[in-house]
Amino acid sequence: MTQIVELEGVTKDYGNSTRALSDVRLSLRKGNWTTVMGPSGSGKTTMLNIIGCLDSPTGGKVNIAGVDIAGLDQRGLTKFRRENIGWIFQQYHLVPYLTALENVMLSQFYSGIVDEPLAVEMLTKVGIGHRLQHYPAQLSGGEQQRVCIARALVNEPSLILADEPTGNLDQNNGKIVLDLLERLREEGHTIIIVTHNTEIAGLGDRTIELVDGKISLDRINERKHGEVI
Amino acid sequence: MFMRILGKSIARRKQRVAIAIVAVVMGAAIASALMTTSMAMKDKVGQQFRNFGANIVVIPKSDTIEVGLPGITFGSVTEQRYINESDLWKIKEIANWSANVLGYAPFLYQVVGVNGSDGRSLNIVLAGTYFNRSVENVTKDANGNLWATGIRRIAPYWDITGKWVKDGNDRRESIVGTIAAKAMGLSIGSVYSVNYVNPDTQNVTTRDLEVTGIVNSGGAEDSQIFVDMEVAQEISNRPGKVHSVQVSALCTNCPAELIGQEIEKSLPTVQAKSVKQLVLAENQIMMQLEQTMTLVTVVALGASALGVMTTMTTNVIERRKEIGLLKSIGADNRRIAALFLTEAAIIGLAGGAIGYGIGLGLAQFIGQSVFQSSVEIVPIAIPITMAISVGIALLASALPVRRATQVEPAAVLRGE
Ligand SMILES: Nc1ncnc2c1ncn2[C@@H]1O[C@H](COP(=O)(O)OP(=O)(O)OP(=O)(O)O)[C@@H](O)[C@H]1O
Ligand SMILES: [Mg+2]
Repeated sequence: MTQIVELEGVTKDYGNSTRALSDVRLSLRKGNWTTVMGPSGSGKTTMLNIIGCLDSPTGGKVNIAGVDIAGLDQRGLTKFRRENIGWIFQQYHLVPYLTALENVMLSQFYSGIVDEPLAVEMLTKVGIGHRLQHYPAQLSGGEQQRVCIARALVNEPSLILADEPTGNLDQNNGKIVLDLLERLREEGHTIIIVTHNTEIAGLGDRTIELVDGKISLDRINERKHGEVI
Repeated sequence: MFMRILGKSIARRKQRVAIAIVAVVMGAAIASALMTTSMAMKDKVGQQFRNFGANIVVIPKSDTIEVGLPGITFGSVTEQRYINESDLWKIKEIANWSANVLGYAPFLYQVVGVNGSDGRSLNIVLAGTYFNRSVENVTKDANGNLWATGIRRIAPYWDITGKWVKDGNDRRESIVGTIAAKAMGLSIGSVYSVNYVNPDTQNVTTRDLEVTGIVNSGGAEDSQIFVDMEVAQEISNRPGKVHSVQVSALCTNCPAELIGQEIEKSLPTVQAKSVKQLVLAENQIMMQLEQTMTLVTVVALGASALGVMTTMTTNVIERRKEIGLLKSIGADNRRIAALFLTEAAIIGLAGGAIGYGIGLGLAQFIGQSVFQSSVEIVPIAIPITMAISVGIALLASALPVRRATQVEPAAVLRGE
């Protein structure tokens, strides 16, 4: 089975008044890069959080990597998350009192195996090999985001979820991050990236647009190799 | 890795953690001080009663009861109330229980000046008593011998090195307590002199004494000098007077109170209290003291708990994003709780250890100012203090930790 994400009639309500997602049906292939677009408040983050098992839907069925999420309890969800999901945040969310290396190892720690050489390797891969002992406050935004990517990658997740990964970065650093993600896609990782930026809308294998919690556009892109921005 | 996370997160919030530790220190110090004081005092009082061979204490009627409590207070030795020595034989000749009275020893106390081993003069309690004195007026035994009594009869637990003092016929012999002997630099056979200043006339009486024996009883006797009753009466010019009498009564079912009542009937100017009554009174004081101490401790520990709770709550609130992040990378509630509870336990341990140390000092202070005696270290107080401190820290963290586990990662990780 090559579908890694399957949403069926997924709805998310906040209280009685706010419907963030409304009857979303979506099926994503393994190894694909999917770009999620849409105006502010359209439900992009909500959808990503549900796919990443950080949030649960009010209605509908969610199946990630062949597992029906509804059947998992709190601990089961946590375990599923650490085995399958790698997060890249717009705010990076690095632990401020740990070094770049320790931030990556933190993720290993909570997955069960601390492997320092592998953590170093991941940081080297994202180009932070020379900044291992730096604290987040000593790193630029772009560097912090790359640490965040290394942390997301280190446990070999089946799904990489990025919510506005370039939102806080300048064009140059944004390009570095996107190039990195492109490389990961080439290595076979499945990536879902949420963005406001219309310039990167056309990147990846597929572009989805949300409006008012509904999918309003779903487009398969022609792959343009090596072409970013 | 866990320790690294913990260590670095604590190091980063040194001041806050220090405040929490100080909060625990205060509670732990008070808890350990009061625990040490009360345990040590109970031990001390208990030991004094256990060492006490006599089970009835006879004192002049209006005197305070504490005077009769050997080893606990002899603050009233200048009290001008006495029992007449010539009446004492009646203690043995009481109605009904006469056979149960095994013996008695009268005491006359006075403070005398002596030369310390360092050359400076010391004040020391000198007690006149009977060692093994034959008493006229008491019915003779079947062989026609006089009945004899004294501390050799009522205090068989006295551990004497050297010899007992012979009653009456020697004017120099004395038995010196081990502590007193050390302070004066005396050993068996040493001759020393005591000076008594008459409080009314300021006349000084000097007397040479010789050490015939050294007593080690573990009680107040260890810092006193014992001489024949007549010697003591001569030194302070109080012929025929005694302060108190310790009576040893054989009691299978312990009718010590009844024997005491009989003694009071025979000697109308005295009161005779059973040691049991005294122990009860003492226990009551201890119990009241303990209640007060418990209350103070509970209040102090409550304050500690509040301090820890405030710190931990701030900790959780400030680190909500971090908690959300940890959850998103796979830390379940148990591991989140472990992180905060371990920190709480460290705060408890550190606070408990420092608090225990301060508490010891505090206990000495309480001992000196309330009981006029030093307080011995009670080892069991260490684990108890540590357990209480850690327990309080963990308990106070329960709510903050619950808050931490309830953090919704989806909510806290959203952009601003
Ligand atoms: N915790 C919440 N409680 C109530 N309403 C919420 C909550 N989280 C999100 N919403 C609402 O749900 C809707 C979708 O929010 P969401 O964050 O998914 O939008 P988004 O597409 O990611 O927007 P943006 O581009 O600004 O990040 C919004 O109307 C938002 O106000
Ligand atoms: Mg969003």
